[in-house]
Amino acid sequence: MSDHHHHEEEFRLNSPDFNRLNQRLDRRDFLTKTSMGIGVLALGSLFGNKLMGNAPHSVVSNATGDMEQEILKALPHFAPKAKRVVYLFMSGGPSQLETFDYKPTLVNMMGQNLPDSVRKGQRLTGMSANQSALPVVPSYYKFNQHGQNQTWISDLLPHTAKVIDDLCIVKSMHSEAINHDPAITFFQTGNQLPGRPSIGSWLSYGLGSDNQNLPTFIVLVSKNGQKDQPLYARLWGNGFLPSKHQGVQFGSGKDPVLFLNNPDGYDGADRKEMLDYLSKLNQIQNSTYGDPEVDARIAQYEMAYRMQTSVPEVMSVADEPDEVFELYGPDSRDPGTYAANCLLARKLLEKDVKFVQLYHQGWDQHGSLPSGIAGQCKATDQGTAALITDLKRRGLLEDTLVIWGGEFGRTVYSQGKLTANDYGRDHHPRCFTMWMAGAGVKPGITFGETDDFSYNIVKDPVHVHDFQATLLHLMGIDHERLTYKFQGRRFRLTDVEGKIVKGILA
Amino acid sequence: MIILDIFTFSGRLHPLIVHLPIGFIILAALFDILSYTQKYRYLKQSVPLILLIGFIAAILACVFGYVLSLSGDYDTDTLSHHKISGITLAIICGLLYISSTNRFKKYLSIANKAFSALLLGLVALMSYSGHQGASLTHGNDYLTFRALMQQEYKKPASVEQAVLFEDVIQPILQKKCVQCHREGKQKGELSLESLVALKKGGKNGPAVVAGKPEASELFRRITLDEDHKDFMPTDGKPPLTKNEVKLISWWIKEGKAEGGKAINAMKNTNALKPMVALFLGIGGLTDTENNDSDLAQLINPDLPLTVDTSVIASLKNKGIRVRVMLNKPVMLDITLPPKSGIKLADIKGEMLKLAKNVVWLNFSDNELADKELDFLPALTNLEKLRLDKNPLTDNVSNYLISLKHLEAVNLNETNITNRTTLILKENPGIKRLYSWKTNASKND
Repeated sequence: MSDHHHHEEEFRLNSPDFNRLNQRLDRRDFLTKTSMGIGVLALGSLFGNKLMGNAPHSVVSNATGDMEQEILKALPHFAPKAKRVVYLFMSGGPSQLETFDYKPTLVNMMGQNLPDSVRKGQRLTGMSANQSALPVVPSYYKFNQHGQNQTWISDLLPHTAKVIDDLCIVKSMHSEAINHDPAITFFQTGNQLPGRPSIGSWLSYGLGSDNQNLPTFIVLVSKNGQKDQPLYARLWGNGFLPSKHQGVQFGSGKDPVLFLNNPDGYDGADRKEMLDYLSKLNQIQNSTYGDPEVDARIAQYEMAYRMQTSVPEVMSVADEPDEVFELYGPDSRDPGTYAANCLLARKLLEKDVKFVQLYHQGWDQHGSLPSGIAGQCKATDQGTAALITDLKRRGLLEDTLVIWGGEFGRTVYSQGKLTANDYGRDHHPRCFTMWMAGAGVKPGITFGETDDFSYNIVKDPVHVHDFQATLLHLMGIDHERLTYKFQGRRFRLTDVEGKIVKGILA
Repeated sequence: MIILDIFTFSGRLHPLIVHLPIGFIILAALFDILSYTQKYRYLKQSVPLILLIGFIAAILACVFGYVLSLSGDYDTDTLSHHKISGITLAIICGLLYISSTNRFKKYLSIANKAFSALLLGLVALMSYSGHQGASLTHGNDYLTFRALMQQEYKKPASVEQAVLFEDVIQPILQKKCVQCHREGKQKGELSLESLVALKKGGKNGPAVVAGKPEASELFRRITLDEDHKDFMPTDGKPPLTKNEVKLISWWIKEGKAEGGKAINAMKNTNALKPMVALFLGIGGLTDTENNDSDLAQLINPDLPLTVDTSVIASLKNKGIRVRVMLNKPVMLDITLPPKSGIKLADIKGEMLKLAKNVVWLNFSDNELADKELDFLPALTNLEKLRLDKNPLTDNVSNYLISLKHLEAVNLNETNITNRTTLILKENPGIKRLYSWKTNASKND
């Protein structure tokens, strides 16, 4: 195409610079092969993680490589029910008391102190532990029965109420962490401390991609959630898994994926050629060091190139009829809102993206809960319900699993001053509500029960690891068998726990 | 807290110690016989010592054996035979020792040959006692001549050929029940060794009532809560798996608790076949005790165990997405990428080669005409089919009538009408038909 590039042979052998490099590489090659790994280790630490990819790279001996292959070859362990997942993460900890967990008897107890027999001395956060009283407060909002099974749901969620017969509501979720960061990290990675791979990364690692032109794991963060608690890229990080399995965040606006578009003034005509040569260079590097991160880097460049076409195509909602925007609500015309992200999620799922995760922040109502949660519900209710409706009518709910939930629930007692129409609620990991819908789960049921205070679980508790095990099961994975060896230990999403929640499986 | 249950512990040493007197007594007899030869004459002197050691070991074995018998888990008849013969054995062994000592010989001398005869008699008594003991642990039928004559059991090659009672139900009972409910050891006066005995029943009447699992004592016992005192198998013996329970339920209810009937001669066996396949391990899955049987998947047994991977590779080369949903049996999910421009005629050969493996199929948005889909009836194991966004008409539904595993069909945004809805009613397996944005009425 352009004459300043030479033929491959010349490129590799006939330029003095490359001859020298070539010699050095060959010598290094010899070194690495004789002293197995020592050279790589030394070089790896010299170049550091900056040069060679952002994940700490391990020297993969043949034995570990074989083991990985064995593990991956056995997949899927079960015939999968779900082909894709969309996980609507309500960050901050939505109150179960104002949404799904109807507790009518609390009305008569308004303002009374939470009985010790209920609390049982259980820990509270530092934010409400020193309160002189823990006054019980019922939901400010009314509940009504909806759907065939007359399920109780808050008036704050009128749209969700319309699809309630499709939902499998789990009221008995419980977590171990009481603060946002550990709790959300626990939900996403199975461990409270950062560093493990996220659910989507495990799925990408275990099951691979169904669409070579888009990432397997895509993250969308709403712009209209109140940013009271931060989100960070490690929540969709690959941890110690190869870095091509990390979640890719799509933003709104001109550049949905940062640095994906060609810079101004460059027409991109010779991009492919440039990448081919870059790939060759990387392969030389790879044949010398055998570092899997080089493979990841090559794959990422090629993926990015394909995404230059596929992303604008999938992000464009120009062809969507008005009826669709009406279904998702007025926000859906404003890119980056939760409703617009729900619509985008549907488009990504249509393209067989395996794991789409939406985050909507702002559910952390320590104070002014009645007004706060009303705003949150208004921003999310219609989009959520529209996504269910849209997936269902398109036949995609057949093999798509939809998940809705936060990292924990909220306390039955008021944090701060309780007045007739204002109160707050503190973090409560001992029980909270999530729901799932679609592939492989029973529609129209409620699973698990909490006590009259929505404080303790009285029936069918579901731990975070149980949820993760169930999610993997629906995708065809035995959570005990999908492991990855790192630093001498085999890791899995559910650590050493997790029981599949059989009661919700269709 | 640690319970120092020394009785149980020492009782369990019995099977270990019991082998010592066996060894010594046999050795004594062997040396005694050998001492008749010139070469081994000198061995005669050692016989009393060996008998003494054998005697002491026999006493120990008796004591530990008695402690073990206190646990009460044993068949009383066999136990008393074993006990009496064992104690007698120890006493005789002791007497023989005394008779062989020099001090005793002063008073009464037993002829060498008589002594040898007594010793051989002792070995015979020991064999009897040992056999009784072995029967206690391993069951009466453990070492019998029947074991020599037993015919090789031939597993049926396919689910259709399997005879429900003989190939499925009987083996379940054999495995889980017959240890206690058999001729000779009829707990609750019930034997489950044969269909006749089973129908005759036991103390609580017939074990099964044809057509009524809920009225059948056997079914009631195996489906109780495991902590219930009537639950069977009792004493922590391995319970029946969920699949086995379902099979027995089907056999009593639909199979009318009859024997000798092959599955292909029965009616409404759609639900039965995957259970039988799982039990017999046809289709690659086995119903093991370790499996969490609630999660054991009931998989269509008609699915092939293997697949020609070169055909998959060839499809992938042509730009088709092939996802392996399960390795054993091989389940495939095949997707023609939207607007692929690929003509079905070009991949039809491969599709037909993989026909039995395809479980999910997605031809969405590919400008397909009805006729191009004429190979669909060959995909007999298809469960989910997406044909949406193609200019298809009602004629396409004719290809779908015979697909008995088909569960969901997506015909959104096609040119179908109510006729398709009507035609597809002929296939009762189809649970969900998607007809959004078509002329097919919404009411169906």
